[in-house]
Amino acid sequence: MDSTMPDIDIDIDIDIEIEQFRTQARTWLEANMERRPRATRLGSSDSRTPEEIAASRILQRKLFDGGWAGISYPKEFGGRGLTGAHERAFRQAALDYVMPDFGGAGHVMFGAIGRSLLAHASPAFLHRHIRRLLSGEELWCQFYSEPEAGSDLAGIRTSAIRDGDRWILRGSKIWSTGADHADYAMCLARTDWNVPKHQGLTWFAVPTNASGLTIRPIVQINGATGFCEEFLDDVEVADDDVIGEINRGWTVAQTMLVYERGAGDAASAPVEPRSLAPDLVALASKAGRASDPVARQLVARAHVNDYAQFHLGRRVAARLRSAQTPDPAVASYGKLAAGTLIPIRARLAVEIAGMLVLGWAADDSSGRRPATDYLNGRMGSIAAGTNEMQRNGIGERVLGLPREPSFDSNKPFAEVVRAARNWDGRVG
Amino acid sequence: MDPSASDDQKLIMETSGRLMDQLCPLTEVRSSTYREAEFALNYRRQASDLGWFSMLVPEELGGGSVSGNGVLDATLIAFERGRRLQPAPFVSTNVVADALARAGSPDQKAKVLPRLISGDASAAWLPLPTAPGQGFNASRTSSGYEFSGRSTHVQDADSAAWLLVTAETDSGVVQALIDSTAAGLTVTPLEALDVTRSFAEVELDAVEIPAAALVGEGDARELVERQLAVACVLTSAESVGAMDHDFEMALQYAKDRIAFGRPIGSFQAIKHLLADTSLMLEMSKAITLAAANSVGTDDGYGLEAASMAKAFVGDCGIDLAQNCFQVFGGIGFTWEHDQHLYLRRVTTDSALFGAPAWHRERLCQLSGL
Repeated sequence: MDSTMPDIDIDIDIDIEIEQFRTQARTWLEANMERRPRATRLGSSDSRTPEEIAASRILQRKLFDGGWAGISYPKEFGGRGLTGAHERAFRQAALDYVMPDFGGAGHVMFGAIGRSLLAHASPAFLHRHIRRLLSGEELWCQFYSEPEAGSDLAGIRTSAIRDGDRWILRGSKIWSTGADHADYAMCLARTDWNVPKHQGLTWFAVPTNASGLTIRPIVQINGATGFCEEFLDDVEVADDDVIGEINRGWTVAQTMLVYERGAGDAASAPVEPRSLAPDLVALASKAGRASDPVARQLVARAHVNDYAQFHLGRRVAARLRSAQTPDPAVASYGKLAAGTLIPIRARLAVEIAGMLVLGWAADDSSGRRPATDYLNGRMGSIAAGTNEMQRNGIGERVLGLPREPSFDSNKPFAEVVRAARNWDGRVG
Repeated sequence: MDPSASDDQKLIMETSGRLMDQLCPLTEVRSSTYREAEFALNYRRQASDLGWFSMLVPEELGGGSVSGNGVLDATLIAFERGRRLQPAPFVSTNVVADALARAGSPDQKAKVLPRLISGDASAAWLPLPTAPGQGFNASRTSSGYEFSGRSTHVQDADSAAWLLVTAETDSGVVQALIDSTAAGLTVTPLEALDVTRSFAEVELDAVEIPAAALVGEGDARELVERQLAVACVLTSAESVGAMDHDFEMALQYAKDRIAFGRPIGSFQAIKHLLADTSLMLEMSKAITLAAANSVGTDDGYGLEAASMAKAFVGDCGIDLAQNCFQVFGGIGFTWEHDQHLYLRRVTTDSALFGAPAWHRERLCQLSGL
C-alpha cells in the first residue's frame, strides 16, 4: 500500500499554457455567454423540462462551435485534444456563466458514456456519433441497471438475440438518468446465456425512438422525476450499433464504472471550498442558532468534511492520472467518500434546522431545502454502486484482501437463478 | 509510490526513515532509552544532519528547506516519524525555530537558533491554552514582564534548554523565550498515556522576563496564531504517520489470521471496516497535505486549513486506532503488541494543541461566525 504522503497539488506544475488557455476561455465566455451569480445552485438529480433541454442544446452547440465542447476529447472526433487540466480550467472559468445544464444526464453523457465509447467503439461508430454528442445534437443515456440487477450489474437479464444482421432486444431497464430527453441509449444486454455472467455481455446503441421501446419517468422520494424505467419489447437494432466486441461487454462496463465513480468527470472537481458551509451558516442563523455552540460544531463539521472530501478528490484524481490503466477501485475512494459524507451532511443540516425542517411556508426555501436534501442525500450511498460495493472494491483491489466465495462466477448464467432459488444453505 | 513528491523530498523521507530504524526503532522507544540525555543529544544531532530542525528557517539564518516549502518538507518528515512513533520534540523545536526566525531578537537568532538547528539543544513550546485550567498571565514590571501560571502536558519540557511561553496581558499577547534554569520555573515530569514521549507540567511563579527575552514586538497574536498552525499541521502529520502504520499492521493481520477456514479479511464484516478505515486514512493524508501547502505557501487560508486538519485527523486517528483494535482482537489488548502504543499516540495527538471540538469552534470564529 501507499505508505508515503503524495503531494496533492500536481496542478501547480501545470504551467503558463493552462493560464493562457484560462484567459482565452474567460474572454470567449464573457463575449458569448450570459453571466450568472455564483450562488446559483444546480440540482443534478431532478429532471429538466423539454424547454430547458432545448435551451441547453442551443448552448451546447454554441460551446461546440466555439471549440469549448469536448476539450479533452480527440480532435478527429470534434474535440480539442487537450488535457484534463485544460478541461478543469475551463469548468472553473465557466462557473460564472450560464452553461448548458442537462442535469445528471450531462455528467453521464460527457463522462461515463463518451469516455467508454472513445475507449471501445469502432472508429466508424465514433465518427457517426461523437461529434453529434459533443454538439448537443444527440443526447445519450445509459440502459444499465435492471429491476433484478443493481449492485450485481453483471447479473443483468435483458437479452439480445441475433437475427441475421439485426439484433432483437428484450427486457427492462431502470434508473436511467435523463432517458426521457435522450436520443440514444447505451444498453447492456446478455448475448450468451451458456457462459458465466461476465462473459456473455454486449453493449448496443439503441435509438430512443425505436419501435417496442417504452420510457417512463419514475417519481422519486422527493416527489420529483429524474430517472426513468424502460421496457424493451423486441426492440430491433443493427449490427452497426454494437459497441465494442460481442460478449466482451464487461470490459466496457469496467471503463464506464471508473468514470461513473467520478474519475472522468471534470465537474466533480470544483474549486476548493473556502467559505464555512454557507448554506448551513444561513440555516443556523435562520434557526436562531448562530451562537449555539452545538449548532456551530455541526456547521464546522460539515465544512471540515467538505474540505477533506475536496482534497481527497484531488488525491484520487492524481493517483488515477499517474496510473497507465486507471483502476476503478481507486476511484471508489471518491465514491465512498461521497456516499458516506453526503447523507451525513444532509443529516447535519436537519439537526441544525431543528423544527424548520418539519414544515414551511410555500414561499420559504429555508426549511424545504434541507428537507429535500435529506431525502435525496441517500441517493449518493446507493446510485452508481452502493457504498458496500465500493467497500468491496477498495478491500479487494486496493487493499488486497481475499474475495468472498462466489456462487455464480463459474456457472453458466442460465443456471444461476435456478441454483440460487434451490440453494439448500450449504457452502462448499 | 508518490505521484508528485520530488526526488529530493523522497530522498529526505527515505534517509530519515533509515536513521530512525537504525537509531531509534520501536524497541528503543519501548525501553525508554530515548529519555537518556546522551541518547537524545546524539539522535538530535544526527537528525539535524538531515535538516530536521532547519526546514522552517531561511538560509540566511542557517536553515534551508528541500522544496522551498519548508512546512511541507517538515510535514513529510513528521509523517515518517509518526509511522515509527518517534519520541523527541520535533514539533516544538520546529515551532520555536520558526518563531525565532520570524520574530526573534538578533541575539536570539545568533545564540539560540543555531543550537536548535544543529540539534545541540531542543526547545519546548507553551501556547495559549486550549483547555481550562491552563495558561499564563503576564504583568508589566519596570524591566519587562512577570509571567505566572501553569501548563500541563508540555512535551519534553524537562530536557528542553528553552521554553517559548505565550502569556496573556491586559492588552494582548506576549511571548518570551525562557531559559530552563530561570528562577521561579518548575518542571514536573508526568506519567503519560503516550508512553513513547515525555510530558511534564510546567509552572511559572512570578518568573522575571527581561525585555530582551521577548519574541515579537507589541501584540504577538498574529505570530502566535501562525505557530499554532504550524504545530497543528506537524502534529497532524505525525498522527497520520502513526495511523498509516497502525493500519498497515491491522491489514496484514486480517490477511494472516485464519478463522472459520478463511483469512478473516475475506469476511465483509472485516473487509468493509478496513475499507472505511483506509478511506479515513486517505482523507487524513489529503487534508494534512492540503493544510501543509496552505500554511507553507501563506496562501491566506492556512489558519483555517490547519485547524481543519487538526480537527479531522484528531477524530479519524482515534476512530482508526479503535477499528484496528477490533481487527486485532485479543492480541491488541496485550502490552507486548504495538497496537496500544499507536492508540495511545493518536489519542494524545488528538488532544494536544486543541482537541477537534476546540478547532471546530476556532474555525467558526476565524470564518466570522
